[in-house]
Amino acid sequence: MSAMMDDQGSSVMFIRGNQVHSMDGSSLELELETFQRQVTLRFLELAAVGNDDLLSLAWMRKLLDIFILCQDELRMIFFNHRAQVMKPPMDRIVSDFFERCVKALDLCNAVRDGIEQIKQCQRLLEIVLCALDQKRIIGEGQCRRAKKALADLANCMFDDKESSAYMALRNRSFGRNTTIKDLYQIHNQNSNYQHRSVGHFRSLSWSVSRNWSAAKQLQAIGNSLCPPKSNDLVATNGLAMPVYTMSSVLLFVMWALVAAIPCQDRRLQLHILIPRQFPWSAPLLSLHERIMEDSKKKERKNACGLLREIQQIEKCARVINELVDTLQFPLAEEKGEEVRQRVQDLSHVLEALKDGLDPLERQVREVFHVIVRGRVGT
Amino acid sequence: MESPETLPFETAEKIILRWDSTASEEAREKMIFDGDRQEVDRYLQAVDEIQRSMSSASISDDPKVNCALQIAMARLEDEFRNILISHTNPIEADSLIDPTSLHFTTPEDEEDHDQQQQQQQQDAAADSSSSSSFSSASKQRHLNDGDSSEADGCANLFRFNSGDGASSVNSSYRSTSSIREIDLIPSEAVYDLRSIAERMISSGYLRECIQVYGSVRKSAVDASFRRLGIEKLSIGDVQRLEWEQLEAKIRRWIRAAKVCVRTLFASEKKLCEQIFDGVGTAIDDACFMETVKGPAIQLFNFAEAISISRRSPEKLFKILDLHDALMDLIPDIDVVFDSKSSESIRIQAAEILSRLAEAARGILSEFENAVLREPSKVPVPGGTIHPLTRYVMNYISLISDYKQTLNELIVSKPSTGSRYSGDPSTPDMDFTELEGKTPLAIHLIWIIVILQFNLDGKSKHYKDASLSHLFIMNNVHYIVQKVRGSPELRQMIGDEYLKRLTGKFRQAATSYQRATWVRVLYCLRDEGLHVSGGFSSGVSRSALRERFKSFNAMFEEVHRTQAVWLIPDSQLREELRISISEKLIPAYRSFLGRFRSHIESGRHPENYIKYSVEDLEDAVLDFFEGTPVSQHLRRRSQ
Repeated sequence: MSAMMDDQGSSVMFIRGNQVHSMDGSSLELELETFQRQVTLRFLELAAVGNDDLLSLAWMRKLLDIFILCQDELRMIFFNHRAQVMKPPMDRIVSDFFERCVKALDLCNAVRDGIEQIKQCQRLLEIVLCALDQKRIIGEGQCRRAKKALADLANCMFDDKESSAYMALRNRSFGRNTTIKDLYQIHNQNSNYQHRSVGHFRSLSWSVSRNWSAAKQLQAIGNSLCPPKSNDLVATNGLAMPVYTMSSVLLFVMWALVAAIPCQDRRLQLHILIPRQFPWSAPLLSLHERIMEDSKKKERKNACGLLREIQQIEKCARVINELVDTLQFPLAEEKGEEVRQRVQDLSHVLEALKDGLDPLERQVREVFHVIVRGRVGT
Repeated sequence: MESPETLPFETAEKIILRWDSTASEEAREKMIFDGDRQEVDRYLQAVDEIQRSMSSASISDDPKVNCALQIAMARLEDEFRNILISHTNPIEADSLIDPTSLHFTTPEDEEDHDQQQQQQQQDAAADSSSSSSFSSASKQRHLNDGDSSEADGCANLFRFNSGDGASSVNSSYRSTSSIREIDLIPSEAVYDLRSIAERMISSGYLRECIQVYGSVRKSAVDASFRRLGIEKLSIGDVQRLEWEQLEAKIRRWIRAAKVCVRTLFASEKKLCEQIFDGVGTAIDDACFMETVKGPAIQLFNFAEAISISRRSPEKLFKILDLHDALMDLIPDIDVVFDSKSSESIRIQAAEILSRLAEAARGILSEFENAVLREPSKVPVPGGTIHPLTRYVMNYISLISDYKQTLNELIVSKPSTGSRYSGDPSTPDMDFTELEGKTPLAIHLIWIIVILQFNLDGKSKHYKDASLSHLFIMNNVHYIVQKVRGSPELRQMIGDEYLKRLTGKFRQAATSYQRATWVRVLYCLRDEGLHVSGGFSSGVSRSALRERFKSFNAMFEEVHRTQAVWLIPDSQLREELRISISEKLIPAYRSFLGRFRSHIESGRHPENYIKYSVEDLEDAVLDFFEGTPVSQHLRRRSQ
């Protein structure tokens, strides 16, 4: 919690960390400096994670936390200097900024949808866990059950527009030896299969119209975003700068969300422009580069989302599927042990999902609120 | 499904294996539950036997039992899906129309109401010289939205039940509809589904059951949504649409939302209970949420988008409609979404409601600001009623229609000008003298105050002072008439303030008369005409001739000028003319009477005595008609 405000948004004190700052008599310069510094520090911290933690659920939540803090601080700066904020050219600059923010609202909603899709995957994994996590000896029945769920999972993870191929799988049934690779192949071959029903397994549709595109939305946010011109800086006493900083933060955060979470038309190769000359540029650039690198890796190219836990799901599912294919019944001791190990891995993944998805969803909603609040207040 | 004898395991196993869809073409092609009832019973019996075997210790580790159970469960899952799919017709129109119910509003009623609103707003737009802040009101509004035929079709299909409540002619859409579930799936099918669900869940295949159920029912809900015309609009889409288009969509959304919450979602919930109640803990909840969470969020996203859209005055009333509709729905939303897992939906609905309230408050503020700052400087020709006046008065008339809601939402006094701020750009108003009035009423009075303040400023753009006064008189009189004409408005504004307004336009009338007629009547005064001594019996003929000439010239000028001026209200027009005549005619008559002989005894009296009393009386009738008169006044033929 960074600020205590009453309904009017007026603040007397705010508490950050352990320090209490008072707002009376602060010079504008100090506020601007502090803001820039805070942004830089926070992103430096965020960038100092290992590759395993990058784009994990926990990391995403830290990212959104930073966004919320920065946005609230900016709002406070606006409030403290509201007379100036309402005069040109600052009024136009602020209005542009809010327009960008509003575009992010649709992305928040899309991400909320995407989290729901991940929850679908989670539920399928729970079936796999249920099937294989037996106190009793695992039999062929349980394996078939697990494979069925894994096949459903493969379809769920697919960023595909044609669920018809999936129906082919569903209605055909597959024997013990079908692997996920086979499923992928069949999926690719049967794009013309006539399916007979409405009841697709995975939810057919996003809650957005067919021509909505996350990539386009991101593009709109970044549209003509450039550092403030020197005459603007002078005319606004430097207030144009934190607005630009926050716009860049907004763009980066939304980009990272779209990179991580499945949503319609993600097109990750979309470049966002991050300027080089500011203190906060370095951590943002580094993060951007690392995430882009990740997306180019072979095994992640077709991923529905770069979220670390999604990668873990894919890996886990693949491993278990391959393992199950090799099982012969009755189960040998060491095979049984291997299964138990994989199942334990699986339950770890599921734990992370169970613990992390709901809080992330709530936070995305909080981001939504913070953006709306900011816009209305001014 | 109990049968008197249990099947031996081998028999049961055979049945299960026979229906293994991975094993035979035949098993894949036919569905058990589509066929013979006996076959169904046998299959279920077989499943029960396998389950019994599983729980009995001696056989449970037998791989055959294990396998058979999975095969049976997979089969049951397919059967479950198949039964569900065969009953996924989107909500049929007929099942929603209750012929015995009262209809609170029909789409025709709603369109009439909207037409009334639109008509009032069109009146406001009568003149073309309105400024940009109100330009959307002055755009020609379409009396029938392009959407009306769709709305008709949709509403004819989905008229909602108004329950027992008598409908009031309340234009704020408070309705008495209530939850009304329908049976989405025939009871035989429900029975079958339940039989399957019980077995799947007791075998630990709960998750598969929920998955299948959720996915099929969700697509059914999606199909119903399409039928109801619920669109997938993003916030960006909503921002880009013209407000008039949005109004139509809001109307449609209100109708659809009521059906969704009270019938569609409620029925889905009931269906979950029918199939899953008692079959395990909170499974019906889980299935229900699987089915409706996505659609519910999609539904509310539209209302949310409206609640955060840019504020501008013309949006107030539709936003209030939306607010009222949602407020009406929330108790039912709370009932339908009463579980812990559906908390986020209840929360979102409450958030949207409070944002709509905020929006309404904000728009009212915006409106007040806009009235105060409305900048047009072009004087309205003829001093008639300014479009701003019309717009504002119509607007606050509508506000008084919505007073039930607005009284709840508007809880604080206007923020500007509440003290004697010394700021010349805002009027002063002491709110303490308005003790006992609701905040909304204070706002309305405040709006009238700032309207007048703005009009006062505009009156100064007239070069002719008389016209300024006339302008004020016309406009304040219009305000008074509008207030008098609306009981709600009158009650809120109060007679005290009304008296003040009346006084103001009367005073303007007086000021006008002074400004115009004092100097005209000055020509007819006695002083300065008499001279002592000399030939003529004390009256200077030359002075007299001057007087007549001045009078004629002035009167002609005033006549020509002020005929073009306009007092739209006929009664006011009459009154002012009478008032003018009352001063003018006797003065002229008396002047003529006393001095005509002096003129007539000289040369060319017709150059000086141009008009008879009757001529003047007739001429006064030309005043304030708004039309020019011919160059010369009628004169009596000499």
